[in-house]
Amino acid sequence: MLVQVDEPEKPALAIRLIDGEIAALARAISVIERDTPNAIGILRAIRPHLGQAVVVGFTGPPGAGKSTLVNAFVAEMRKRGKTIGVVAVDPSSPISGGAVLGDRIRMAEHTMDDGVFIRSLASRGALGGLSAAAAQVADLMDAAGRDVVVLETVGAGQSEVEMASIADVRIVISAPGLGDDVQAIKAGILEVADILVVNKADQPLANRTKRQLEAMLALRAPTQHKVPVLSTDAIERQGISELADAIEATAARNEKRSDRSALAGRTRHLLAQAVSQAAETHTLQSQSDAIEAIILAVQEAQISLSDAARQVLNTIHKELND
Amino acid sequence: MSLTATIPARVLVTKIGLDGHDRGSRIIAAYLRDAGMEVIYTNPWQKIEAVVTLALEEDVDVIGISSLATDHLLVPKLMIALAKAGLGHVRVVVGGIVPDQDEADLLAAGVSMVFHPGAVRDDIVSAVEKFAVAATNDRPQD
Amino acid sequence: MNKVDKIASIDASSADWERNYDKMIGQDRVVKNRSGIEIKPLYWPENDTDGTYEEKLGFPGADPMTRGIYPTMHRGRTWSQRQLIGLGRPVDFNERIKSILKSGSSALSIIPCNSVYRGIDCDEVEPEILGTCGTILNTVEDMDISLKDIPLDEISIGLNDPNPFTMLVQMLIVAENRGISWDKITGTSNQSDYISHFVANHMFYRLSLSGSRRVQMDAVEYLAEHVPNWNALSIVGQHMQQAGGTPAQAMGLTLSTAIQFGNDCIERGMDPEKFLERFTFFFDISISFFEEVAKFRAGRRIWNNLVVERFGVSNPRAKRFKFHAQTSGLDLTRQQPLNNIARVTAQAMAGIFGGLQSMHTDGYDEVLSTPTPESAKIAISTQNILKHEAHLCDVVDPLGGSYYVESLTDTMEEEILKVIAQIDEQGGMYKAVEKGFVQEMLGASALEFQDQIDNGEQLIVGVNAYQEEEDASARPVLKRPTAEHMQAQVDRLKEVKAARDPEALAKGLQDLRDAARSEDINVFAAEIDAVRAGATLGEIVKVLREELGFGQPLVVA
Repeated sequence: MLVQVDEPEKPALAIRLIDGEIAALARAISVIERDTPNAIGILRAIRPHLGQAVVVGFTGPPGAGKSTLVNAFVAEMRKRGKTIGVVAVDPSSPISGGAVLGDRIRMAEHTMDDGVFIRSLASRGALGGLSAAAAQVADLMDAAGRDVVVLETVGAGQSEVEMASIADVRIVISAPGLGDDVQAIKAGILEVADILVVNKADQPLANRTKRQLEAMLALRAPTQHKVPVLSTDAIERQGISELADAIEATAARNEKRSDRSALAGRTRHLLAQAVSQAAETHTLQSQSDAIEAIILAVQEAQISLSDAARQVLNTIHKELND
Repeated sequence: MSLTATIPARVLVTKIGLDGHDRGSRIIAAYLRDAGMEVIYTNPWQKIEAVVTLALEEDVDVIGISSLATDHLLVPKLMIALAKAGLGHVRVVVGGIVPDQDEADLLAAGVSMVFHPGAVRDDIVSAVEKFAVAATNDRPQD
Repeated sequence: MNKVDKIASIDASSADWERNYDKMIGQDRVVKNRSGIEIKPLYWPENDTDGTYEEKLGFPGADPMTRGIYPTMHRGRTWSQRQLIGLGRPVDFNERIKSILKSGSSALSIIPCNSVYRGIDCDEVEPEILGTCGTILNTVEDMDISLKDIPLDEISIGLNDPNPFTMLVQMLIVAENRGISWDKITGTSNQSDYISHFVANHMFYRLSLSGSRRVQMDAVEYLAEHVPNWNALSIVGQHMQQAGGTPAQAMGLTLSTAIQFGNDCIERGMDPEKFLERFTFFFDISISFFEEVAKFRAGRRIWNNLVVERFGVSNPRAKRFKFHAQTSGLDLTRQQPLNNIARVTAQAMAGIFGGLQSMHTDGYDEVLSTPTPESAKIAISTQNILKHEAHLCDVVDPLGGSYYVESLTDTMEEEILKVIAQIDEQGGMYKAVEKGFVQEMLGASALEFQDQIDNGEQLIVGVNAYQEEEDASARPVLKRPTAEHMQAQVDRLKEVKAARDPEALAKGLQDLRDAARSEDINVFAAEIDAVRAGATLGEIVKVLREELGFGQPLVVA
């Protein structure tokens, strides 16, 4: 429990959210997503109530059956008496900025269950596919009293790495027949996964995929704990109970994301993301002469990109102080 | 276009009643996405209570009901349920096969607009954008 | 002039024509049909290296069947006029059937209420949406009233009756009660194609994919033995095309589904020489006139070859590509609805020239509501005018030999075969739809076609061209079943349910459950017994959903 500090009055929305009101949670998520001025008040108000939930991240390539697996996992956790919050993230179109968010299609059975709260988010231009808001939405669900928060995202870009800093338990899903099976598990993922799942266990090549993954894991330097490779058939609901057991075991073992050192690292990471996004936006939109000059210098190969970047940061610093 | 330069409108595209054709709703979802909106897309046969729950959890600005046959006759019930759940600010549009004799009833029940076969993409998109802005303005202050 | 000289002479003349054409046309446009095939401005006899007349066309009723499945086709027996009928109460439906039969229709097609499609009895449906699009058929009594005074042993009946086929069961029991032996019953289970429901027309999709397959195969087996003149399997291309598939895709996917069902039947130990005789198809006819003619001719030729290649049949009746077709409601407009009469005429002609065996023509008010009796009459008259006044039945395959139509038949065949190959690569149609492969294909085509309309590449009279201000009040007013009538129907259902022998009913439903759980008991046979014991549509579907899985279509965003 964090130390009580004298705080300004809590926003009514935060109070209702902490109280478990569903409408309040939904509206608070919007406040965070829209980053309106009262967002910070809500984040401050929920801080004492964080740390109860286990955040489980699921990622994997399209076609691995991620949503179906999450749906089955949610059903299993409900059977175990837990309440759930699901954050389902889908990519925004880089061209239009819009998105079709279809993860709820696979989770229709939980719509009318008050014990399952589902929110669909678009990545909104976040490079890795996980918007900065996703971490804060997970916090809101935590503060709202959900026992388990599921974060579901497509394995694109660096989303697995981003997931690593947000989730307590990191699951990477693959399935046989997705082109080159092992290629689907990109380098670096094995470093951050707590559990690997091979879904569609009913398919003939599933065992081969499992063995390949186990072989790859064996090549790594030994870590404190062996990463299990589990087989599931999400449609037939096989292997789900074992998955839930493995997740609960990992959660008990891992450092909670809300523990001090983990929190500091994660916050730094989120800050870095926010900084780069702000710098990116400023650079793309600025019409200042200074920045135009830098662009020209790069075009004419007068300075390197990395030097130019430092100059731009300097310029932004000046422009922000003006 | 979005509500502001950076906040996309959120639209729920769904079906109630008995029909199961989804060609129309897929096309509408694509239109809205290409116009910069976020579309929460569901399976058909949603009960009224489920649509309310979806609208609540996803905090949408607009609900688009795709209707064939006579499923639109259930929409007035939806309007009442939305109001009861504190979602009166959410705008509802209906698209599909709606006989003229029913269109007036739907509008009287609070539906913002009815789109018929042959409706033009730009008209649909600009109407939904307009309704999303109106919904945002009418949201309870948080 | 010998042949070589003749060809050389045509080549020279065609070069002349091309030159003159280019001079006159100015800015020409590229024309592509809906299947993406580029259409030239003119077709003429070119060096034909692809096969002789016998190889590519043949004669009607003989390999490769391009020109028709029977020697006589419509000159001998015109297509069945199978108009869809469905009205709220069984008694209203019965009245409508009788009037349609009087005006010349020779076959029936029954449409149940949407609630029936969803597998729900009328006492569990919101009253506003009950009986508005079709007839309520929850019990044997409902079916009996619907078919009062209709000679079941003389009329061919198409049942729009998805898995688990309760309408067929009800009808068989009605026949039994009337003393009509089942071998006299003819007709088709029009909606037995659960794959097309999973992919496209989800309303018909009641049980899980594997559950649907199980019940479908049980039904096919049972019917082959006990109702031998019934077409248990109708493979539906209409849903694929209406979900957005191009005509070539719709045909390719449908044939792939037929291959899947054929393999499923063989796995059950059935003989393709026998069961293929009972395969029928159901297609959409769009207004892309020549494309549709070519689609049907190509499909017929491909099927003829495919059943020999894949199933090794030699029975000529097993090679026949029998199909029912319906003019496509998607081409009809809400704007200036009377124009739809012209559209339906063009679509019907394409179907006739394509060689269909049975047809439904849409009413002009199709896009406004369920058709009124007046518009239904015009739809039938359209067929009769084409038959008797335009003399479209006097010659078999009258467009055969047209340079354009034969060339297009060939290119459509290529496109269709490409789709079949893609599905083969996915492991067959069942696997392809499980993965969502087909759904993606259809969605992409739907968007592409919509783009063409949005961009004005495809003009539609009254919609994005030749628009007019219209008087909404001039549009026909729908009659819907009255609330009292529907309440009476619900009350009657409650009465019928209360009057059943509860023990017999419980046993019937338990036996059905046991059949579903076992792998050896025929579920369809158990269903017949359960309905004999008084089980309603809703009760049957509920049990089967519990045992075999609820049908959740794979919706692709």
